[in-house]
Amino acid sequence: MGLLDRLFGRRVHLDPALSGRLDAWSGRPEADLSEDFDATRYVVVDVETTGLDLARDRLIAIGACAVENGEVVMADSFEIVLRQDRISTKDNILIHGIGGEAQREGLEPAEALLRFLDFLGKSPLVAFHVTFDQTMIKRAVKEYLGFDFKHPWLDLAYVMPGLLPQFAQRYRALDDWSNYFEISNFARHSALADALATAQLFLCALPLARDKQSSCYRNLQDLEKAQRWINWTG
Amino acid sequence: MPAPNSLILATAEHLSRFAPFDSMAREHLIWLAERLKLAYYGKNEVLLSPEHGDVKRLYIIKQGAVQVEQSGTGGAWLELHEGESFPLGALLGGRVAISTFTAITDVFTYELSADEFRELLRLSPVFQDFCTRRIATLLERSQRSVQARYAASTAEQQSLRSPLSSIARRKPVTCRPETPLREALDTIQENRISAIVVVEDGDRPVGVFSVRDLISRVILPATDLATPMREVMTPNPVSLPSTAHAFEAAMLMARHGFRHVLVADAGRLTGVISEKDLFSLQRVGVTQISAAIRSAMDLNTLVRAAEDIRQLGHNMMAQGVAAEQLTQILSTLNDLLTQRVIELECSATKDCRYHFCWLAFGSEGRLEQTLSTDQDNGLIFTVPEGETVEQARACLLPLAERINRALDACGFPLCKGEIMAMNPNWCLSLDEWKATFSRWIDAGDPESLLNASIFFDFRPLLGKEQLAEELQAWLLSKTTANPRFLHQMAANALRNRPPLGLVRDFVVDGEGDQANTLDLKLNGTTPFVDAARVFALATGVAATGTAPRLRGAAPKLNIPESEVEAWLSSFFFIQMLRLHGQHEEMQAGKAMDNRIDPDELNDLDRRILKESFRQARKVQARLALDYKV
Repeated sequence: MGLLDRLFGRRVHLDPALSGRLDAWSGRPEADLSEDFDATRYVVVDVETTGLDLARDRLIAIGACAVENGEVVMADSFEIVLRQDRISTKDNILIHGIGGEAQREGLEPAEALLRFLDFLGKSPLVAFHVTFDQTMIKRAVKEYLGFDFKHPWLDLAYVMPGLLPQFAQRYRALDDWSNYFEISNFARHSALADALATAQLFLCALPLARDKQSSCYRNLQDLEKAQRWINWTG
Repeated sequence: MPAPNSLILATAEHLSRFAPFDSMAREHLIWLAERLKLAYYGKNEVLLSPEHGDVKRLYIIKQGAVQVEQSGTGGAWLELHEGESFPLGALLGGRVAISTFTAITDVFTYELSADEFRELLRLSPVFQDFCTRRIATLLERSQRSVQARYAASTAEQQSLRSPLSSIARRKPVTCRPETPLREALDTIQENRISAIVVVEDGDRPVGVFSVRDLISRVILPATDLATPMREVMTPNPVSLPSTAHAFEAAMLMARHGFRHVLVADAGRLTGVISEKDLFSLQRVGVTQISAAIRSAMDLNTLVRAAEDIRQLGHNMMAQGVAAEQLTQILSTLNDLLTQRVIELECSATKDCRYHFCWLAFGSEGRLEQTLSTDQDNGLIFTVPEGETVEQARACLLPLAERINRALDACGFPLCKGEIMAMNPNWCLSLDEWKATFSRWIDAGDPESLLNASIFFDFRPLLGKEQLAEELQAWLLSKTTANPRFLHQMAANALRNRPPLGLVRDFVVDGEGDQANTLDLKLNGTTPFVDAARVFALATGVAATGTAPRLRGAAPKLNIPESEVEAWLSSFFFIQMLRLHGQHEEMQAGKAMDNRIDPDELNDLDRRILKESFRQARKVQARLALDYKV
């Protein structure tokens, strides 16, 4: 798919089986964002890409795990590698550790993304530095499924400083917060491992949120917005 | 079933760094990882407490530290860390937790539902074994790793812990009491054996006759070969059940100089164990050393034997002989050595007859000697007709001093606190001992209590043993009737707390080279030893060893057997660590002490040590309860 196609938003022609699955996903009821934390399933996500350029780099892998009832359900976790036609650079491979062969042997991107959507359902998403994950997933969905992926996202990079303002200046990265809560990471820069670390951070956020009379996703989204505003003005 | 993803694999891998998960089958580990939930608890949050009702989950700590507080007793006393599981007892029993578990840092736990916990018990025998036997399993594994560590040097050596049933293979050769001597000797000759067992009713042993008895009982007295065996045999033979261990047979032989021990179950003969059958033990040297000691005619021979005893201790550790047996064997051989030293010194002193009894105090008195032991001994004597107490003492003191110095030469250093027979304070007549003990019991000041804790573990070693027995009986009649004294002993014992830490696993002390170490004797074994002493003095149990004291006192105090055995497992585990520490110090040419750095222990041993200190707290809790301290 070239630049022109992308500019003119030409529709992708999907295999009928795939488009049927996409329709089924679209038809699922949306999550109620004002339900109590304990009543909702959340999906914490992290992606690996060919680089950090939001416009040009491509999605390589998605890792995700579900948080339900305030706990990470280990078996309800997900990881997938998208097949790459062009292998990413050596420097890039050294970061996420998904080698050339694994990239070539990944799953056909449309199938991979549909499996992710199946895993996700309509559960609200949580990530750290959402802009990056969101942009990458959105672009890939558009490119391979010809579909505009609109979904609720929550960014812990703004929620955490909102909950613990005393550390807002000092802690920026996922590693900063992980160190603070002594969250270990079984394989940093592997999508699923980073998703688990982010999920653990989310677990830490929940009781702090309750202390501030926040009990649902929407409350945290409001907190995120306020924090973005503080960062913007502050 | 799809292949497990990297998260499940990483979780299984993480768990496999800790017991019991490290020895579980991989499929069971994956099964477990797939069913776990990961939960978070903020600092000071309560994970589980009795108020939560029936326990619904197994908790495995992923990261952070959890403090355990037993309800009602007050005060935290245990800390759990990464890889540790709880509450096993409550889950197995399907009941509420006894303790309150509180996060003392941010804590993440893997959690498994109670139903799945039960399913895992069914699936994995390793897991089941761990949960139900817990400390016993840990101990066994620690012991196996010890054996593996020394395996290279001792692989071919037969285990001292083999049951006699596996050693006594031959059917015993027997004769009847009325069998004529000639016929018995023919049988011995035909079967090429060294001893024959005399039995009644087919298999009830009544005596033994060995070829070594030939010279003294047949040839020299020119006994008629028609004499019935009943008249030449050694009557009332000593026997052991077939479930007894090889080391017990070796101990009997060493203690009494026997060359044969009968194996009998319920009074029925099933086998004979000879020195030869314990070939591997001979190489280890229990019987060899004891024979050398028995026949020693000078101090030099005994000094060498003392070195052999220490070497033997090392070899037996290598075989993984349990601390209970090891300390008993060491003490038995040290007893023999001491006895021989006394005999040699007495034979050089014609005017001092055996109107005294040599007493062992402290660890020697309890048969719990380690590799590094100084002297703790004394004398009890009768005053010969026509002499004063002072005259009798004056006659014995030079002898006692020679014995003390000879023991020093054998590697039992003179006691710094001068608790030795050469000290006139501890070379006393029966009445003087009674007066001294009475004073301590009545005074109850710190020094008296300290003395009681050393001297009340006395045991006769050689001489007029009835003197010691009389003193023992008198002491028990006095202590059992003196609750005030027992209360003071209990309070004194409770001053010394097991070093379980709140911030780290253990509280370490020491300075300089000994920084970050803890004293296994003072803080580890002493709580058990002290408690056992109080229980024994209270219930009139005459034994001096910590194990026989606890086992003897428990029924009278309504302490369940399982509880006592858990205490003793812990006690002997700490003893084992002491022995290992001393052994390694000896190998490194350093002075032996009782300190270890817990960080240098492997994970498994560190956990058992923690559990052992926990048991020490339990013993103390019991003491506190009984004496309302």
